[in-house]
Amino acid sequence: MGAIYTGSGYWSVGWWILFAALALAMTIYFRSLGRGDYKVGTEQEEFFNAGHPVPEDPREYRFPAASTYWGFTRALSRYYDFLFAFHTGFLQDYVALTAGVLALFGVLALLV
Amino acid sequence: MRLDEHLPALLLALPLLGAFSAPLVGKGSRRWVELLLPVLSGLTFAVAAALLHRVSVGGTQLYVMGAERAGLALPSGMSLPIRIVLEVDALSALMAASGSLVAFACALFAVPYMRRFSGFDKFASLYFLLVAGMLGMEVTGDLFNFFVFLEIASVASYGLVAFWRDRPEAIEAGLKYTVVSTVAALMVLFAAGFLYGNHGVLNMAAIASRVDLGVADKVAMALLFGSLAMKAGAVPMHMWLPDAYGEAPSCVSALLVSVSQASLYGLFRTSFSLFGLPRVAPLLGWGLVVLGLLSMFVGVTMAIVQKEIKRLMAYHAISQTGYMLLGVGVGLVASLSPARMESFGLVAIGGALYHVINHAMYKGLLFLTAGAVYYSAGTRMLDQMGGLARNMPKTASLFALAAAAIAGLPPVNGFTSKLLIYQSSYALSPFLAAVGMITSVLTLASFVKIFQSAFLGPALPELSEVREVPAPMLAGMALLALAIAGLSLLPGPVLEHMVMPAARALADRGAYIAAVMGGGM
Repeated sequence: MGAIYTGSGYWSVGWWILFAALALAMTIYFRSLGRGDYKVGTEQEEFFNAGHPVPEDPREYRFPAASTYWGFTRALSRYYDFLFAFHTGFLQDYVALTAGVLALFGVLALLV
Repeated sequence: MRLDEHLPALLLALPLLGAFSAPLVGKGSRRWVELLLPVLSGLTFAVAAALLHRVSVGGTQLYVMGAERAGLALPSGMSLPIRIVLEVDALSALMAASGSLVAFACALFAVPYMRRFSGFDKFASLYFLLVAGMLGMEVTGDLFNFFVFLEIASVASYGLVAFWRDRPEAIEAGLKYTVVSTVAALMVLFAAGFLYGNHGVLNMAAIASRVDLGVADKVAMALLFGSLAMKAGAVPMHMWLPDAYGEAPSCVSALLVSVSQASLYGLFRTSFSLFGLPRVAPLLGWGLVVLGLLSMFVGVTMAIVQKEIKRLMAYHAISQTGYMLLGVGVGLVASLSPARMESFGLVAIGGALYHVINHAMYKGLLFLTAGAVYYSAGTRMLDQMGGLARNMPKTASLFALAAAAIAGLPPVNGFTSKLLIYQSSYALSPFLAAVGMITSVLTLASFVKIFQSAFLGPALPELSEVREVPAPMLAGMALLALAIAGLSLLPGPVLEHMVMPAARALADRGAYIAAVMGGGM
């Protein structure tokens, strides 16, 4: 009932849920094995915050959306500079782009 | 008189009745309009569901306005249809059922959501007009009527995007959408004029039977293709979309997703049913593929850097539209060879149409959860949110479900449709599938960002008074969540009974023409 064929593959939601449950059970089992090394009152109890100091007051422990994926956008800064320049917000640019694509497609259509 | 014969007309009559009665009912009490909006929206969905069932059992349904019999397209002695014809095949019926379900869910959500603002009768009137325009575009068999319904939907959405007129940003978004959308609608009108001038007919099946791909036909094809791609939000003509979706009330943003899909439906009809001849199929097919790739990648990379929740989701709407364009484009390219069509073309179209339905549900739900957050927390800026899952656990759970769906995490429905698109587009070119998968990974990253920023972490002192939203808003969201659950857990029956018949209806140009030009029932 929950299975479909894609032509070159197979997807069964029932089997997937079964395997996911199995994987979850294995994860819980392996995690329970690791708890034997847990030592109360040592540095193992401290939060790890990607190398950054953890604030004393938990309410200050935030990761603002503006900082998320900073490295990703920094690495692609040239691509993003182009994208931001492209998205001017000016209405005449919106209309010009639409007209440009229409014209391009019109020329291509006349050529075939 | 058998009522089920008149379902196509009833599908349009109900929202039109709502549009014209809402201002009158509103003269009495706002409560009557609050009752009218969900009740008529629910009835419209019931009619759409009944129509889908009728089409799946009895095949394409014709409804000829003013004819002796509802299905009589060609009275004796006539070689061309002259009346207004509604042609509802498996694709039209599926789109109408999906759109009207989203409209019903959004109507439930809108009642308490809009209670803080005046002018609810005007809101309801515009809302019903938007629904009527959307459904009309999906069931009409007449190109001029398609333009009329496109305009009805567009004009209603201008008002709804700028409904919160105390916000200058909303006015600006409404103005931009008005101008750009009017340009597109004008192009559709020009295309209808070119085709009418060339063939003397406006019925789409009749035009398709007479298309000779002369200069006038090609100009009309280019105008329809470009303008409908713009209305669907394809890159690089997508700029209006983040403004419009971002500034509209959330219940409207969720519905606008389905309204844009009505333009996408028009684009697919244009590409397959109207002009899908072997001479231009490669141009149209690769055109869809290129627009799809651009939309997927540009949409998702712009989304990931957004800091405002609804703008982020709006860019994702562009990105997800890319998957649909890619799937149908691959199918159109494959249609040149019967073997390729059988091997992967139909699967690609099926995957794309499955994604259309999935996207309507999960993006609708995402916009509603964004509205719930705005309703309770009073902000749309992610940097001003945090820890909302503590006080809004139901909204957080519904958001997590929809986010998993859009990211394509198994076993949720987005995975199923993406899998079909990946595997079929891989058969045409591995590059296409690779772009799709990268887009999916970045989509997951975007929604992890929202979930982490808005719902996780410690509760912010300024948001300590935040509470869960009222029950009707939760009911609207739960309805879409139920649809997502059904589409996730029953992919086999959905694909067999709803999606693949729609894919075959789109691919079979001859059947679309024959339903009308054969004379009807």
